Amino acid sequence: MHETMVIARRELRSFFLSPIAYVVGAAFLGVGGYLFFNRILIESAGTSQEARMVLFFQLMPIAMLILAPALAMRQWSEERKLGTLELLLTYPVTTGQLVVGKFLASMLFVGILLLLSLLYPISLSFFGDLDWGPTLGGFFGCWLLAAAYLAFGLFASALTRDQIVALVVSLVALGLLEFFTSSTIGQYLLGDTIIAVLGLLSPGQHFASITKGVVDLGDLVFYVVFCGLFLFLNASILEVKKRVG
Amino acid sequence: MIEVENLIKDYGQVRALHGVSFEVPRGQVLGFLGPNGAGKSTTMKILTGYLFPTAGRAVLAGHDVTEEALEVRRKVGYLPESNPLYMDMRVDDYLRFAADVRGVPAKDQKRSLDRVIHDCGLQRVVKKGVIELSKGYKQRVGLAQAMIHEPEILILDEPTSGLDPNQIIEIRDLIRHIGQNRTVILSTHILQEVEASCDRILIITQGRLAADGTAQELCDQLPAGPLEVEVIGPAEAVEQQLRELFTGGRIDLLPAHHARHGGHAFRISVPPHMDEHAREAVYDLVQVNQWKLVHLYRQRANLEAVFRKFTLSAEAADELEHKARGEEVAHA
Repeated sequence: MHETMVIARRELRSFFLSPIAYVVGAAFLGVGGYLFFNRILIESAGTSQEARMVLFFQLMPIAMLILAPALAMRQWSEERKLGTLELLLTYPVTTGQLVVGKFLASMLFVGILLLLSLLYPISLSFFGDLDWGPTLGGFFGCWLLAAAYLAFGLFASALTRDQIVALVVSLVALGLLEFFTSSTIGQYLLGDTIIAVLGLLSPGQHFASITKGVVDLGDLVFYVVFCGLFLFLNASILEVKKRVG
Repeated sequence: MIEVENLIKDYGQVRALHGVSFEVPRGQVLGFLGPNGAGKSTTMKILTGYLFPTAGRAVLAGHDVTEEALEVRRKVGYLPESNPLYMDMRVDDYLRFAADVRGVPAKDQKRSLDRVIHDCGLQRVVKKGVIELSKGYKQRVGLAQAMIHEPEILILDEPTSGLDPNQIIEIRDLIRHIGQNRTVILSTHILQEVEASCDRILIITQGRLAADGTAQELCDQLPAGPLEVEVIGPAEAVEQQLRELFTGGRIDLLPAHHARHGGHAFRISVPPHMDEHAREAVYDLVQVNQWKLVHLYRQRANLEAVFRKFTLSAEAADELEHKARGEEVAHA
C-alpha cells in the first residue's frame, strides 16, 4: 500500500507539472462551462432544474471520452520513451502496485476536475431548488465512467512508446464502441444482437443508466470488472515485455 | 555476492547472451568490457530484474532474480545506460521519491539524502530542476539515486559515458570511494577507467565471456612489446652479439636520433623462448663486454591490446597485426 501511494503521489505531482494536464483540464472546465451556460442556463430556461442536469450529464460521456485518454496517454509511453521505465521496474515495487498507483493518480486528477465542476449545479441551485441526490449520483457516475476510460487509456499507453499512438488507440477503440452502441447506425451495421452485447460492455451505456436514476449494483460491478480487467492486462503487458525483451 | 550461471537471453530470433557464467565475491569492483552490442547491458538488465533471462540463473545476495525479484531489487542500486531521470522534478524531490520508493523509512530519509548529496557533490544543485543540470550533474544525480538506500550491490551501466575528462575523474573517484565497502559491477568503454577503478575485469563479446582476470593477469596473457636498448660500445660488436643473443627475433638498428644518450639504439622483437628473461640477458651481455647500458625498456602489453585480442574476430585481429607490423617497419 505504501509503495502504491508513493507511485500515485509522484504521478499526481507530475500531472500538476505537465502542460498537457493543464491544457486538457482547462479545456474540460472551459468547454464544460461554455456549454453549461449556453445550453443549460439560457436555452433550456423554464425547464426543471433536474431536466437541466440531465442535459449536462448527456454531454459527459463525450467529454470523458476525450479527457481520460488524453490524461492517460503519457503515463506509460513517456516512461518508456525517457527510459525511466527501466528504473521504475527495478524498484522494489510490484508491477501491480505501479499500475494501480498510476491509475489512482489519474483518478484523483479527474476527481479534482469533477469537484471543480460541482460549480455548475451549485450555480444552478441559486435559480431554483435542485435535487442533490441524483446530481451527486450523476457526478459519481462520471467518475466511474472516467475510471473505465482511464483504465483503458493506461492499457493503451503501455502498448507503445509513442503517446500519440496511445491516444489514437484509445480514442478510436472507445469512440467506436460508444458510437455504435448509442446510435442507430450501429444497429443497422452490426445487427441487434451484437449491439446488445457491445452495449453490455460499453462504459457509456452503463453511465446512461446511472444518470436515469439510481446507481444499480450491476453497473457498479461492471465498472469494477472493466477497470480490473484493463489494469490486469496493463500489468500483463509490462510483465510480458520483461520476458520477451 | 553475485552468482551468474549459464545465462541465456533471446530477443526474438536473436540470441544476445550465449550462456554467461561468473561469480563476484563481496566487496569486489568488477569491470565489464566489450564492444557495443556484446551483451553487457543485457546482462546488467537481467541482474537488476528489468529483463528476465530466457534460461540460466542469477543469484544476488542469496536471492534469485526471477523467483525473488523484489528481494533482489531491494539489495541493488542501478544506474541504467542512458541515465534516465524525471526531468520535471527538482533534484531533492527526485531523491526523496527515490528514497520513498526504495523503502527508506521516513525518519532516515533526511540522513540518506544528506549522505548522497554529500557523496555525489550535489550541494549546489539540490534545489534546481533536473532538466537544468549539466550532463555531469545529471550523472551524479543518477548515481545518487542508485545509492540512496545504501545497497549492497551497485550496478552501473557506463557511468562515465559522455562526460568530459574532469567529470570522468570525479565520477571515477566517487566509484572507487563507493567500492570500498560494496560490490560493484560497472561497464565502460574507457580502458583506463577499468584499470583505475576495478579489481577485476570481464571481457564479453558476442554474448560470450572472452576473458576474466585482473588487468595485470590479462595483460600478462599477451607477449610484451619490443625491447628498446641503447648501449655505448663498439657498434658492430654490439649489434652482432645482440643478434646472436636473440636468434630468431628481429633486431633493428635505429637511426642516430633515437640514441638520446650517445650510444647505439636498437629495437628488438624478442623471440618467444627469450620472452621471460630478455632484459636480464641484455644486461648480462653488456656487463660481460664491459659496455655501458644507458637505456633498457620493454613496454608491457596494455589493456587496449588485450581488448582487441579478445573482442576482434580472428581474421580482423590478423589483419590488424599485419598492419601494425607494416607500420613498425616503415617507422624503423
